[in-house]
Parts: sequence; C-alpha cells; structure tokens
Amino acid sequence: PVTPTLDCGSSVHSSLVGVDTRLSSECVALGLQRLSSDIRNTVGNIPMEWYKDFPHIGYNLDGKKIYKPIRNKDELDDFLDKMENPEYWRTVHDKQTGSDVVLSDDQVELVNRLQRGQFGDVNFNECEPMVEFFSSDVMIHPVTNRPADKRSFIPSLTEKEKVSKLVHAIKMGWIKPRRVEDDGRGRYYNLWASEDSSILARHKMHLPAPKIPLPGHHESYNPPPEYLFTDEERALWEQQDPADRKLPFVPRKYSSLRQVPAFSQFIHERFERCLDLYLCPRQRKMRVNVNPEDLIPQLPKPKDLQPFPTTRSLVYRGHSGLVRSISVSPSGQWLASGSDDGSVRFWEVCSSRCMKTVQVGGAVKSVAWNPNPSVCLLAVALDSVVLILSPSLADKQVILSSERLLSAQQEGEEPAEGNGSVVWSEAEGEELNQGLRLKIQHPKAVHQVVWHAKGDYLASVMPDNTSHLQVYIHQLSRRRSQNPFSRNKGLVQCISFHPIRPYFFVATQRSIRIYNLVKQEMTKKLQTNSKWISSMAVHPGGDHVICGSYDCKLSWFDLDLSTKPYKMLRHHKKAVRGVAYHRLYPLFASASDDGSVIVCHGTVYNDLLQNPLIVPVKVLRGHVMTHDLGVLDVTFHPTQPWVFSSGADATICLFT
Amino acid sequence: MSQIQARFFTEDKRYVVDDVPFSIPAASEVQDLSNVINKLLEAKNASHSKVDFDFLVRGQFLRTSLSTHMATEGISTEEVVEIEYVERITAPEPEECMMHDDWISSVDADAEWILTGSYDKTARIWSTEGKPAMTVAGHTDVVKDVAWVKREGLTSLLLTASLDQTVLLWEWNSERNKVKARHCCRGHAGSVDTISVDPTGTKVRLERARQKLKRQQRTPLMTLSGHSEAVSSVLWCDSEEVCSASWDHTIRIWDVDTGGMKTTLTGSKVFNCISYSPLCRRLASGSTDRHIRLWDPRTKDGSLVLLSLTSHTGWVTAVKWAPSHAHQLVSGSLDNLVKLWDTRSCKAPLYDLAAHEDKVFCVDWTESGLMLSGGADNKLYTYRYSAQQAEA
Repeated sequence: PVTPTLDCGSSVHSSLVGVDTRLSSECVALGLQRLSSDIRNTVGNIPMEWYKDFPHIGYNLDGKKIYKPIRNKDELDDFLDKMENPEYWRTVHDKQTGSDVVLSDDQVELVNRLQRGQFGDVNFNECEPMVEFFSSDVMIHPVTNRPADKRSFIPSLTEKEKVSKLVHAIKMGWIKPRRVEDDGRGRYYNLWASEDSSILARHKMHLPAPKIPLPGHHESYNPPPEYLFTDEERALWEQQDPADRKLPFVPRKYSSLRQVPAFSQFIHERFERCLDLYLCPRQRKMRVNVNPEDLIPQLPKPKDLQPFPTTRSLVYRGHSGLVRSISVSPSGQWLASGSDDGSVRFWEVCSSRCMKTVQVGGAVKSVAWNPNPSVCLLAVALDSVVLILSPSLADKQVILSSERLLSAQQEGEEPAEGNGSVVWSEAEGEELNQGLRLKIQHPKAVHQVVWHAKGDYLASVMPDNTSHLQVYIHQLSRRRSQNPFSRNKGLVQCISFHPIRPYFFVATQRSIRIYNLVKQEMTKKLQTNSKWISSMAVHPGGDHVICGSYDCKLSWFDLDLSTKPYKMLRHHKKAVRGVAYHRLYPLFASASDDGSVIVCHGTVYNDLLQNPLIVPVKVLRGHVMTHDLGVLDVTFHPTQPWVFSSGADATICLFT
Repeated sequence: MSQIQARFFTEDKRYVVDDVPFSIPAASEVQDLSNVINKLLEAKNASHSKVDFDFLVRGQFLRTSLSTHMATEGISTEEVVEIEYVERITAPEPEECMMHDDWISSVDADAEWILTGSYDKTARIWSTEGKPAMTVAGHTDVVKDVAWVKREGLTSLLLTASLDQTVLLWEWNSERNKVKARHCCRGHAGSVDTISVDPTGTKVRLERARQKLKRQQRTPLMTLSGHSEAVSSVLWCDSEEVCSASWDHTIRIWDVDTGGMKTTLTGSKVFNCISYSPLCRRLASGSTDRHIRLWDPRTKDGSLVLLSLTSHTGWVTAVKWAPSHAHQLVSGSLDNLVKLWDTRSCKAPLYDLAAHEDKVFCVDWTESGLMLSGGADNKLYTYRYSAQQAEA
C-alpha cells in the first residue's frame, strides 16, 4: 500500500508538470490574442522544423494556412532590439505562429512562481491539513468497496512451484540443510575421566533429595473460604495428635500481606527438613514387578473334579435333640446316628426311613459302625459307658458272626480285670431285645469311640487333664481293656487308628501324637498351630491326616513331608466340628458351626515328590443354626460320592 | 407376517384331513393349529365336535410357536413342513387315594387288583376302585417289592420281597379272600430290594439282593453276580434277557440261559430304577442326579444315552413306561412329584402330578389306563388316564 504522504508528493509533481505544459500553451494563446483576434495553429505538438521549407507554418481553426511572418530582422536588429527595447526580456518567440509575444506582468509573475517551484495558482494552499482516510478509526463504511483479490485467498501456484523445486532439491541432496555446529573442536572434555570408578559408581546411585511440596492454597495469606477451617474441623485438628494432622498449621485469612505475622514454626520446620535430608536413607529400591495373578497356583476347575456332592437330596428327620454323631455301615445301606435326646437311630440311606430306634438313656456322644463287613456292630459312647449294639440289619450269617464275636470270650478264661477301672457287662432283658449286647463301664465320661479297621479293637477317649487314664483300647473278642499310656501328655481330644499299619493317632489340644502300637513308642508329633483341636481324620492311605480346630482352621498334614501342616484351610467362619475323608474318592469334608459343610478335593499321589492337590469344590448348606451350633458331624458314604452331615437342628442331611 | 407351507397328516383314522399343503402363519401356536384342524374337520363332517390336538414336527412335540420351533430344530422354512397331529392327551384325572399305615415301598397293579408293599411289613391287595381286599402279613421286616405272578380264575399267585432276605410266594383266592404262603425263598445274603417276574409268568422269578442277582424257584436257579454294589432294580426284557441296574453306576443285561453278562451300560451316577418298553425297545433309567435317561440296550458299545429327560429336582426313584404307548413314561421322584413324559417332547414333561406330600417311591401303569403312585406320605394315588389315547 502506498502511504498517503508519498501519494501526495507524486500528485504534486504531476500537477507541476501539467501546469508547465498548460503554461506554455497559455502563453502562446495569450500572445496570439494580443497580435490578432484568434490565430491558433492546429498542427499540434509537432517539431516546427517540419514546416521550415514551407511558406506557411500551420493551419488556423478555419483550415486556412497561417503564413510565416516576414522575418526581416537580422542578427544586428536582434542585438539592437536587445539593447534598446526594454520589453525584450519579456518577449517570447512563438514557434507555432512565428511571431514574438510580449508577456504581461501576470504572465511573468506566473513564470517566476513556477521557476521557484510554487503552484501556479496563487490561491492554492499547499500546506492545507490532510484528510486522514486511512486512520485507526473504524469507519462504518469502507474506504474502498473493492472485494479482496482472488490471489489473496488462492494458494499461489508460483510459490508452490518454487517450494516444490526446493523440496526436490533437498531430497536430491543438491541443497544441504544448514550446517550444524560440531563440538569436535574440543570445547568440552570429560572432567572425571581420571576419577576412581568407585566414586563414579556412587554418583550413579545418587538420588536427589526429596523436594518440599510447593505451597498450596492453604498456605496463602488470603485463602479461598473453602480452605479455611470450619469449627468442627478446627476442633478435630486440635484434638488430633500433631503427627496425625493433615496440615501442620491452621489456614488463616489476613486482609493484607503486611499483617501476616512471623511463622512461629519456622525454626522447627527447618530443623525437621534438615533431619529429613540428613537421616533419611536414600537408596534405590529394587521393585519386583510381579503380576499377582501369576502367584496364584493353577488349580483345576471344580467342574473337572467331579464327582462330588452338590445338592441336598435327603433329610433324615426323627431326632428331637441335636445329633452329635453319625456313622455309615460298611455296606453303605444303613446310617446310624446318636443324639442328645438319648436315642440311637438306624436309617435306611436310600429312603431316609428310620428303621430302628434304640433308647439308650443318655446323650449319645459318639457312634461308630464296625468297619468289618463280616460283622454288624455299632459302638455307642454315652456318659461313661460304651455300648456295643447289634442292630440286626444284615444278613443272618453276619448277625450270627457278630454274635459269635461278642460271646467268644465266654467259653474262654474269665475276664482279667487288670486295672479294675473298666467293667465289662452283658446286657439283659429288655435291653437285649433292643439290640444291646455289651456295656463297657468307664471311670469317666467317654467322648469318642473308634474302631480299628479289623473290627476287633475299639478305642475310647475320656478327656481329663489330671490323669493319665484318658484313652482305653478294648479288645472285643477277649473283652480286655488296656490303657496304653502311662503319662499324661495333655487333654486328649480325639483318637484314631491307622487304617493299615499298627499306628495310633492321639490328638491333644494343640498337637497330634502318633504312636507305634507294636513297638510301644511315639514315632511322630505333629504341630497343628491351632489353639484347640476338635476333630481328626486319617486318609485311607494312611499317609495324610486332616484335623479341624475350634479356631476355624482345617490343617492337612502330609506325614512323609513334615510335622508342620502341609496346608491350612481357613474357609469356615466358625469352629470346625468334624472332618472326614472319603474311603474311595479323593474327597474330604469339614463341618462347622457356621452351618456349612465344605467339600474339598484332595488327590494324593503315589509319587512322593508330588504334593497333594487340594481344591475346595463345594460349600453345602442345609442345616438350620440352633443354639449357635451348626453342623456337628460329617461322614462320607463308603462307596458313593455322598456326604452325610448331622446338625444341631436334629436332622441329618444327605448331599449327593 | 411370514407364512409356512405345511401338510397335516395323522395316524388316527377318525381325524384324517385332505393331504394338501396349507399356508399357515409362522407365528401360529398349538391352539391356532388345533383350530385349523377342527375347522377342516367341521367342513368335512358337520357332526364333528371340537377336539384338542397336539402337533409333532419331525417327531418332536410343538410347544412354542411354529417359527421358533423350526428355528431351534433347524428345519428349513422354505419347504413344505410335514406336521403330524394327534389328539391331545388330557391331564390324568386323580381318582382314588388309598391310605396305608406306613410308607409305601412298591406297587404292582393289573387289570383288577392292586398290590402294594409297605414299610409296615405287610403287602396289601386293593381293588382298582380303592377298596381294601386283603392284607398279606408274614414278613418280619419291611416289604420292599411286590409282584403279581399269574392269575388262574379266582386264584392268584403273588410275590413279596422283604428286607428280611426272603421272598414269599403267596396264593390268594379272591373269592374266599384267603391268602396262603406257598413258598419261602431264601438265598440272599442281604435285603431283597426288588423282584421281577418273567413275562410268561409261569416258571421263574427273579430277585435282587445286595450285589447279587438270583433267579430262583424255591432255591435259586441261578446267581448272576457281577455288580460291585447294591442292585437297585431288575426286570425281564424278554424271556431270555434280564436287565439289572445297580448303585455301581452300571446297567447290565444278562442272558438267562447261560447266566452270562451280555452288555454293560455305564452311567455316571447311581441308578435307582429302570424300566423297559417292548414297544420302543428302550430302557429308561432314573438316577440320583435328577435325570431320566433313555438307553438302547442293543447297542454294543453300551454307553449311549439316547435322551435325557430333566425336570425333577430330586432323586428319580421310580420310572415306568406306558404299557401300551411307545412314547410315554411316568416317573416319580423325591421332590414329591410324579411326572408324565412323552419322549417326543423331551424339554418338559407333559404333566406334573403334584398329589403327594412326601417322597414318591413307586409308580405303576396298567393296561387299562390307570396310573398309580405311592410314597412316604402313606398314600397310594390312582389317576385315570383316558384309554383311547393309549390306543392312539
């Protein structure tokens, strides 16, 4: 854009030129007017030399020739004229008419003005103030209404061509980019090249000191109102221990920065900071990035571990008190249960029919079916008596053989009343009809009775902290009782025979002792890490033991592995009351006071190097909580993957 | 709405319609189709009275709309669909309720008399009208199974099996109403849970003990041993074959002449009961996992389940094929329900008979169209089941 001032100058210049040409023609016109009325040459602005050889000099307005005036003046006349004529200086020769014109005073004045570079017009003021069209003021109408050029919004083709040429040249390597300043001239050098490498290593381990967090709105002398403490917050702040406070100060508002007092905690804070810098061990911590999923062992899905019991199929109703103990006959056809209502009931497993009820007159603590399939006997523990029942629910041959087993001793020698504390007596009268055969009177209350796998021996527990007479082993065929332990090793909770070998498991409050019955010595002592053992079961293979405790834990011991639990299962919410292994399937179950039975899969491998695989597979619920007691006993069906549980709600459930 | 080309046909001579394809709406359901057939029959025969029909598409009962059914069965809707129709089976009518003193363990009925075994150690004879005729007492333990052997005039032979390991053969004279124990069959080392009578009903009977099958006439003629656990059910397939189901998860088929085992069908759960239908030659088994499974006893590989019928929620304790219908069976379960099934409608039973208040232990079905079920609520229910459909 051309600036207004420049524009103005050029217009002045052009106007001057115009004035100049106008002036000469005007002079001519004026001169002619003086000579004649109107002599005007019409040839235009041509060199007058062209008419040199003609008598005329041009054509007037009427088209008549204008004849050259007769030139009779020579050089001398001219000189004389110059000398004598006072008008000579203002006489101008008009080439177009060939006449001499004397300029008037006005005309001379005009010429003088022009020669001085002034405007011809006297009235024209060249210093007139400029009208500012292009000013900073926004006008409502445009100065020019010309639309923008097309080129102002269309990319320039030429520029594009130029750029593409440059790009092509750069690509082809014809144009090198600006050269980089290289430091190869040795401006820098390794200051520590000769340093000891140990110092360098220390530098590498350098950790910058932790930075103080930047002040926030709380620290402001004029914080936004939401940062100021309310009364409750202030009370809370004052109550809190200084170490627990979120802020070490109370945010305050001041009207100006001048009124902010000195920070009373300043020295203290600096000191703390120095302590931080000085005492804080700054060390790079090696963090191991482990996906937590990878730490979970790969357990098979419960679906792949079938069969296991899943649903409650049958409920055996009939008892009126809580059912403490259940036992299934070795054939799997009958189920015996002992209850606090003083009765022992016999159930048909497949129909939940109570086939027989024997009133024993006391809360039954434990029932155990003789595991020998060739006899049909049930041991019942109540009060201080162990009863041997012959329920006559089997083949005649079996019943006969069990009767023979019971009466075998009679034709032999008299019972040797060794210690005198255990009395064997035969049932009589009405009790005989009910199926009662033998009574073994103990000195104290019997809590548990178990059979040996052969079915001739049975053991009973009388928990007593003060005496060594806690366990008795009875031999049925010879009617002998024996106390295998001479010393009190703690309150005996439960006992079990090893299914194959002559071992005997005794669980006291916190540990399980394994005794060799042949060598009469202790072979192993298992530490359960639980407070109070409630129940114990031995794997049919004999190498594993599970034990439930009142502190909700179930421990699995691998006897070959260690005396510590191989695995602790804490699935139950309340005390574990009973545990059981399945005889054939790799299953075990635990019953708890929280009313649930948890069935777990527990595969035991023959390979000693492979640990047992334990997978919880099912939580079975079916019992109603009664007096804060849930499930009291659990046992498996001998051949099917079914589990029986007896509860405090006087029912027995079968889960299949 | 899309249309489907369908052609209707039936086996029943009374309800034949013209064999021409019809265009019917794809969304039509059983009731719509039934109306169509009734309209057609009325057009043919003015005296026709309305009958409800059920429809089978490729041997499967139509239970949803036609288009849904064909989509699930994968039948093309482009072609003409062959739809068979049969008269709808009306719900079995409950008839009698016979009170017992104790749980009913078994029932066997023929055209005139019903024989029930009970946990009160007796067997009872009832008329089909529900009148008690006779109480057969003699066992010292629970009667687990009963069976009619044969009837000659007024004299009948019947068998009772009991937990006391014996099977008693009784002779009962219905006129004098006297019962006489003819034989006592011993030989089982365990309770006798089931017996079955030869279809010819003359010579042999067969019973079950724990782990051994015995076939005997006073003394056992033959012992079929092979099961590793309790045998829960035995039956005669025909006069040469005996079939037994056991708790060891197998069904075994035995040859009677040689005493050898012919086929073993292996399941995954305990079998409670089996039933064999000579009409469709299938075995139905009820097991503890709530399913009723159909087996083909003739397969050689021996473990092929043809069909599973699942609707019960407890153990299936009894299953019985219809004596005169190739597709129907009745089942009883511990969930107190008796269900009537049609194998052509395997998704859901035809009818649920919820009469019992406790576990159902036994069901039976007579030629005359009487269904019976007994259970732990001491009641034996009979249901009248219209006989004409049995013919269809």
